[in-house]
Order: sequence, then structure tokens, then C-alpha cells
Amino acid sequence: MTRTAEAGRRQAGPGTRQPRWLWPTLAVPGAGWLTVLFLLPFYVVLAVAGGTVNPLFLNAVPIWNPLDWQSGYVRQVFSDLFGASAFLGPSVLRTLLYDALASTACLLIAYPVAYFVARQAGRRKGLYLVAVVAPFWVSYMMRMLAWQNLLQGNGLVNHALTVAHLITQPVNWLSGMPVTVILGLVYGYVPYVIVVLYAGLDRIDGSLLEAARDLGLGRTRTFLHVTLPLSRQVIYAGALITALPMAGDFYTNTMLSGVPTTNMIGNVISSSLSTPGQGGEGAVLVLFLLIVMLAPMIWYVRSTSRAESGDVL
Amino acid sequence: MAGGTVTLNHLTKRFGSQCAVDGICAEITAGEFFSLLGPSGCGKTTTLRMLAGFEDPTSGQIVLDGEDVTHLPPNRRKVNTVFQHYALFPFLDVRANVAFGLKYQHCSKKEISQRVGEALDLVELAPYQRRRPAQLSGGQQQRVALARALVLRPSVLLLDEPLGALDARMRRTLQVELKALQERVGITFIYVTHDQGEALTMSDRVAVMRSGRIVQVANPRAVYDEPADAWVADFLGVSNLMDAVVRTPGNGTRPCRVTVRSFELDARGGTVDVAGQVRLAIRPERVILCGFQESRANLIPGIVERTVFLGSATQVIVHLAVGVTIQALADNASEAASWPPGTPVQACLPADSLRVLPCDPAQQPGESRQAEPAGEPASAVSPAS
Amino acid sequence: MTAGTVTRAAPEAGLSRAGRLSQIRRVRRPSVLRGFVWLYLLWSLAPVALAILFSFNSGSSVTEWQGFSLRWYVGDPYYSVLHDPALHAAVIQTLRLAVLTTAAAVPIGVLFAIGVHRWRSRQASAWTFLMLLAFVMPELIFGVGIFLLFTNLLTIVRLGTTAQFLALVAWNISWPAIIVRARLQSIGDEYEEAARDLGASSVGAIRRVLLPMLFPAVFASVVLVFAGVIDDFVIVDLLSSNAQSQPMSVIIYTLGAHGGSAAAPALNALATVMFIMSIVTVAAGWAVYRLLTRGERHRAEGLSLSAFTGV
Repeated sequence: MTRTAEAGRRQAGPGTRQPRWLWPTLAVPGAGWLTVLFLLPFYVVLAVAGGTVNPLFLNAVPIWNPLDWQSGYVRQVFSDLFGASAFLGPSVLRTLLYDALASTACLLIAYPVAYFVARQAGRRKGLYLVAVVAPFWVSYMMRMLAWQNLLQGNGLVNHALTVAHLITQPVNWLSGMPVTVILGLVYGYVPYVIVVLYAGLDRIDGSLLEAARDLGLGRTRTFLHVTLPLSRQVIYAGALITALPMAGDFYTNTMLSGVPTTNMIGNVISSSLSTPGQGGEGAVLVLFLLIVMLAPMIWYVRSTSRAESGDVL
Repeated sequence: MAGGTVTLNHLTKRFGSQCAVDGICAEITAGEFFSLLGPSGCGKTTTLRMLAGFEDPTSGQIVLDGEDVTHLPPNRRKVNTVFQHYALFPFLDVRANVAFGLKYQHCSKKEISQRVGEALDLVELAPYQRRRPAQLSGGQQQRVALARALVLRPSVLLLDEPLGALDARMRRTLQVELKALQERVGITFIYVTHDQGEALTMSDRVAVMRSGRIVQVANPRAVYDEPADAWVADFLGVSNLMDAVVRTPGNGTRPCRVTVRSFELDARGGTVDVAGQVRLAIRPERVILCGFQESRANLIPGIVERTVFLGSATQVIVHLAVGVTIQALADNASEAASWPPGTPVQACLPADSLRVLPCDPAQQPGESRQAEPAGEPASAVSPAS
Repeated sequence: MTAGTVTRAAPEAGLSRAGRLSQIRRVRRPSVLRGFVWLYLLWSLAPVALAILFSFNSGSSVTEWQGFSLRWYVGDPYYSVLHDPALHAAVIQTLRLAVLTTAAAVPIGVLFAIGVHRWRSRQASAWTFLMLLAFVMPELIFGVGIFLLFTNLLTIVRLGTTAQFLALVAWNISWPAIIVRARLQSIGDEYEEAARDLGASSVGAIRRVLLPMLFPAVFASVVLVFAGVIDDFVIVDLLSSNAQSQPMSVIIYTLGAHGGSAAAPALNALATVMFIMSIVTVAAGWAVYRLLTRGERHRAEGLSLSAFTGV
């Protein structure tokens, strides 16, 4: 029984000589708040999804008793998604596509940047970090607004492209162009990925890399066989921390495109809330989204807690 | 300050199915420097934490100056602790750190100032009182931790391997200082360590712990020269151990005669009145190395394997004819120190320094007084080892 | 030698050509990577910089510079941030929400973190799990849930500032909880034990020792929550009721949706105001943080920028 094992077991009770009620009491306000405003809403969503609609005002009427839940909305959404007249299907597929493309692009951009700042920036590391993290502090809306400025018909992007003879007349970037939306998503989410990747890459023990070089691996092979495997966990975390929230994104599309042809599932949900009679469907879609993402979310949380308790990296 | 007497009565601590401390009993007198010595995991730290009040004993009793404090919370005991990593509050300067506990003793501002000043003088850190812990060296931090505990005038001071984080030289200096401090202040120190050198240097008495039990309690000299069993002998300093069979048990007047392979030796130390399988122990510094021609009692021939220069002495490693390799300590200037590997020598194991230790912990002195039956002829048998 | 050592070590003035060559050979400059990073920084910061720049444009174009002016901030009697009632109200609302949310979320989150960390039961891990979940969940899911909650169940709370406040706190408890929890794990139990050994009660030990030691983490949480609320969109949009409860992010969205409008420069100005608010928060936070932890300068843990940003 080593000392660390002893200490580990001791952790079972630093509260041994302290009143047992103390710790839960401290946690109660937070727990209470979360219960009412985090857990309870899920139940409400379920109740609305399993509820009916008021024929007069066309607002959703929730049913509180689980035994009485109706399947009307669910069936409606299912048919909208997969059925003969599926018009939501494209939105879902589009969401998946945009999400996958944007997330991948984010990772491809973020990894080199994070790697550079973490391992090769030398004395200027702090400065690079601030520069790279700065967009984090600029509101998302402002960043989209910034691109709006540039992508307008007579904006600087069209100017530059015309001057470079890449286009002959101004392109309307801000209406229904998937490229714009995807690039907007990348622009918006990439700082988060960089920060997460940076934290992980920074933690890699430099002596491991030195050992690899010492043993004869060249720079490329050191990277492929040592750095990359070590950063695998962080890459997954970074991918999830982008891909999951992105699935619920709708404002990027609205700001940079605003036409239904580039709709994401988030747009459908948010518009269903303001359309009379569609509240229930919105709720079902939210549940649908939640269920689809539940597994990756749980995976992320568990791997983060494991990482926090001191594993690896 | 008045020292405190501490009595531990069958103190036990279990963590789930594992028993960290197994019914230990001890009586610590007031003003004593008492050490708990043992390897990692032997339960010494757990014992200390129970004394401090951070662990609840599973059973047993802790009596401090006649009062049962077993279930008293740590802030109500007249016991203070010096932690292994000092746990100095980083956001307070030295003075504020030392003054921290005085708030709970309801002292006036003037009294606080005075007592803090006294404590800082005691550890000679008055010039550093405005510094933050991060600006002090390891040894200075340790002294602040001491001052912070002593200013509260406890009956007992608990020290949890306080010198563990320091380098060797600083450790040696602080060992002397700690001992001097304890003598000056006069309270009981209970000191936990895994370093036997430390325990031997500073303590009035040492309790050697193993697997949750106290194996031996005695003053340092006794623990070193008269270890209770082979394990203690091996734990405290280097010990040469070999298996032997008792030929004739000893008593008050005559030594125990044992056979090691075909060699017969007299032994006067340890439990001489046992029979059967035993272990012999002798400290390297007691082994006398002689040339091949000499004649003495208790001689075993051997060959020098190698010599190791230790600085203050030379260690001579000899492979004996009985199949055991022993270490002997020779003076740097002596002949033995310069014998090359392969030199035939003889090792004299003086009877007074040769200790007989029970092989089997269950074997008690006085049992089976007659020699083993005829299966032990003097020459042929090699005892199992 | 470390793989990829600092490129700055390369060509020293005064070295012979051979010496310089050998240095270059030893320290191969990752110029491709560096170029990439600079390209990224340009792509990342230039649009924002331009938007800020054009907010000071005296005309309403966002492509042609027509001279410096504060028109969109205070000058223009109809469209400037100061005079346009919607824009004006938005700034106030953002500040109001940011202050209220931070004031509530940080204490609750900190206590929550301390309680859960020490509680150490399966229930406690469940709460931790929930906390981390809020991090990675799309805000839309949470937003819809809260929206339905207030419109169907807790209708006593009407949509508007109160609802926004309640939801924002719930959404932002995660920040202080996670940051403080990480800090607690690195602090360990020793300091509190020392405090109790010296005579403090459990509560006293928390108050006099643990909280001061958590100060950097608490501070980082304050900054993060504050900046996060300034930036928040989904929750406040779903829960806003009238113009009074529309903070800056919503105004920008409403006016800027579908490709922008004529008042674009004013929006740029508004966004710049938002940006300045965030920067000031962070800078002030950093300054106060440095000021109050000057005694701890030597300790590496908890003082790096990454700890400050909470990552």
C-alpha cells in the first residue's frame, strides 16, 4: 500500500471529521437552480412534444401526464423527415453536411495553429496566444457582421476578386450560398477549437518528443508517430466541442444567407417556435436533436472527467 | 510549556476491508521526542492523522494528558501538526501565517504581537516576517510551519515527515536544530518518518511500525543494536543476515551455539535461549576481517568480492564459505581496505555482536529447550535458507 | 535539443556563413507553419478590425472610407448608438444582464463546485456530469426548453429580463463550477486541514483559507461569465419580449439578418461598443488579478494565461 494509495483512500473522507451536511448544503443552491432550470425544461419539452394543439389559438398545449402523451407531433415530424413529403429531410442532411465540413475545416485550420503556438512559438508564445484567443472575446454577432460588411455586393471581397480578375461581376455572397454559411461557421467556431487543441498540445511532455528525435526519428515521423497519437484525445474533444454546438446553430445562416435553401435544423426549430401551431413539432425536433447528440455528449463529458482526474496527456 | 503524555489504546483504523492501523498500543511520556518509523504504507501517517484528529479511529482510544480525545475534532485538541509540505497559507505573509491560530485563542492584539514575535525568534525568522512563503527556501518554510504550530503552545507537536522535501545537507542541519528546539521548548514531539537515520539521530524513543503494528519500541541504541527480529534488523541500518540452526541454546551464562553449514559459531546477542531454525544478524561495522593465517573464535573463511569506497570508510564485500555474502566496514587506512577482489580472507563474527533472531515470529524464547533430534549432525547439514 | 527549437535562435549577426549555415541546419525554420499562422491571424482579425474601422466612418458605406467621425456613436441624431432608442436600450440591457447574471452565477457556481467536490458520492458525480453537459450542449436545445418552460409551466415568469436572467444563470453556472473545481483539485486538502489544526472550524477554514486561495479561479469565472453574457444570443433572443429586453446581440441579429441594412455602420458602432466592453472587462480583470496576486508571482500554477482563460 503506497502512500499515494493511502492518500487516495483518505480522499474518501476529508469530510470524515467534518459535518456531513456541510458539503451538500453548499451545493444545494446550484443544484436547485439546475434542477428547475435545466432538468425541468427537458420534461417540459417532452410534455409539449407529446401534447396537442389548441385549435383556436394554435398554440401548443402540453400534456403533463406521461401516460397521456400523444404521438401526433412525433408522427408528423417523422413524416416530415423521412416520409413521402419529407421537406425537413434536406434540412437535416444539410445540417449534417455543413457541420461535418465546417468541423473538419476547423480542425484542419486549428491544429497547425495550435501546434505552432504551443510548441514552436518560443518567446513570443504569450503574444501569439493572445492574438489567437482574441476572437474568442469578440461577440459572435460582431464577427458575422464583419463578414457581412466584406461580402456585400460592393464589398471589399468582391472588389479584391474583381481586381484579381477572378470574377467578372460581383457575386451575391449573402444570399443562399452554402459556401458562405460554411465559411461563416468555420470562422465563428475555429477559435474554440484552437483553444482546446492548444491546451492539449501544450500539455504534451516535450521530453517525449526529444526522446523520439534522440532515437532517430525525423521531424515528420516524430510528428506522425508521437505527437499525433498523443493528441488524439484532444482532437476528439475539439471535434466534439465544435460539431455538437454547431448542430444547433441557426444564426450564422440567418446572418449570412437568410434564405431557406441553406436552412439548418436550428432554423427550423427556431421558426417553429414563432409559428402558431408548430410549437409541438419544434419540441419534437429538439428531442430528436438531443437524442442524436446524446451519445457523443456523454462520451465527451466522461472523457473530460477522466482527463481531469489526471489521466494521460 | 508543559509537555503532554499520550496513550494509545488498541488504536485501529480500517479503510473498507484494509486495515491500516491494527490495534497499536503505546505510552508516550511528556516531553519526549518520540518517532514512528516504518516503510511506506505501514500506518504511521494514519496514526498521526488520528492523533491530530483528521481521521476517525475505527476502534481504540487516544488519551492526551488523561483526557480521552479520541473523537474530538482537530480544532479542539491541544495538538498541532507540522505538515509534510508545510501547508503555509500562500496569500499571507510569514507573520500572518504564524498569527493565524491565535485568533481562536482569544488573545488581545498586543498579546498576539508578542507571542508571534517570540515564536519567530524561537525559529530565528524574525527578519523574514514580512515575506510571503513563496519567497522563502524550503528550510525557512519549515521553520515557519514550526513557529505557526508552536505559537499556540500545544501539549504535543505532531510532525509528518517534515524534512522529506529538503536536500540532504539541509536535512542534516535541521535534524540537529529540531532536536535542540524540542529540548528547549520541552513539549512532546511525535515524529513520523521512513528514514531510519533521522529517527535514530533525533529520538528519545523509536517505535518501529510494520503493516499497521508496532514491532518494537525502544531507544535508538537499543533498536539498532538489539533489533527485535530480522525485519527490524534489516530495516534499521545495514545488517548481515544468515540462517542457522541452534545446536545448543544458551542461557544467562553460556552463549548459544549455532551451526551455519559446517561452521559452528557462538552467539551472545538476541534471543539466545531458543532452538531450531534462527537467523543470525551482525552489523557490518562489527565484522572483523582478518588474514587467512589468523586464528580466532567465530571465524568463517571467504573471498573478497569487491571493495567500495564510501568516503568515511571502506565497505568490503566478502563471499563467505557458507554461501552468504556479507558486508564489512573497514577503516580507510587499514589493510583490509586495500585487498583486491579474490583475496582469501577470514571474517570474524564476534560472539557479543552476533545476534540470534527468531526466524518464525511465533517462536517464543524458552520454547523447545532441547536441541533438535539426531537429524542435525555437526558437519553434513545445511539449514534451509 | 528540443524538436523545433525557436526560430529566433537562427541567424545571429556576426557569425560566419558556415556558422550560420550550421545553425540553420540545426534549427530548421518552420516558416511554412509560421506563415500559415500569420495567414490565419490575418483572416481571423482583419474583418473585425475593418468593422471597427468603418464604425468610425463618416459616411454610411462599409467599403469606402469617407473620413473619421464619431457620427455613429454619438453624432447622428437618429441612427447613432447614443440617440437611436433601440440601440441605446440594447446597450443598457446587455450591461444589466451581464452584471446580474455574473453576480448570481459566480457565487452559486463557486459554492456548488466546493460542495460537489467534497461531497464525493454518486449523487455528486451526477451533478458534475450535468455541469459538464451544459458545456457541450447546443444552446438551442437549452433555449427551447427554457422557452417552453416559461410559456407553459412557470408562466408566472413572463418572458423578458427576468426570464433571461434566470436562464442565463443556469446556463453559466458551468463556468465557475468547472474552473473552481479544477483549481480545487490542484489545491488539495492540506491547507484546510492546517487551518483546522490551528483552531478553525470547518466553515471557518473555508472562509479564511479556501476562498482566498480560490480567488484567481473565482476571478477568472467572473470575467468569463461577464464576457459570455455580453456575447450570448440564443437564450436572450428566445426569451426576449419587447424592445426593452433586447440586448445588443439580438439587435445586431434583428437588424443585420438577411444580409444587412442601411444602418450598417451604426451596427458596426454598436458591435464595437460591445467589443470594447468585453476588452475592458478582460483587461480590468487581468490588471486586478495581477495586483492582488503579486505575492504569489513565483508559483507557476494558476498564473498562466490559460488558467486565466479557464482552459
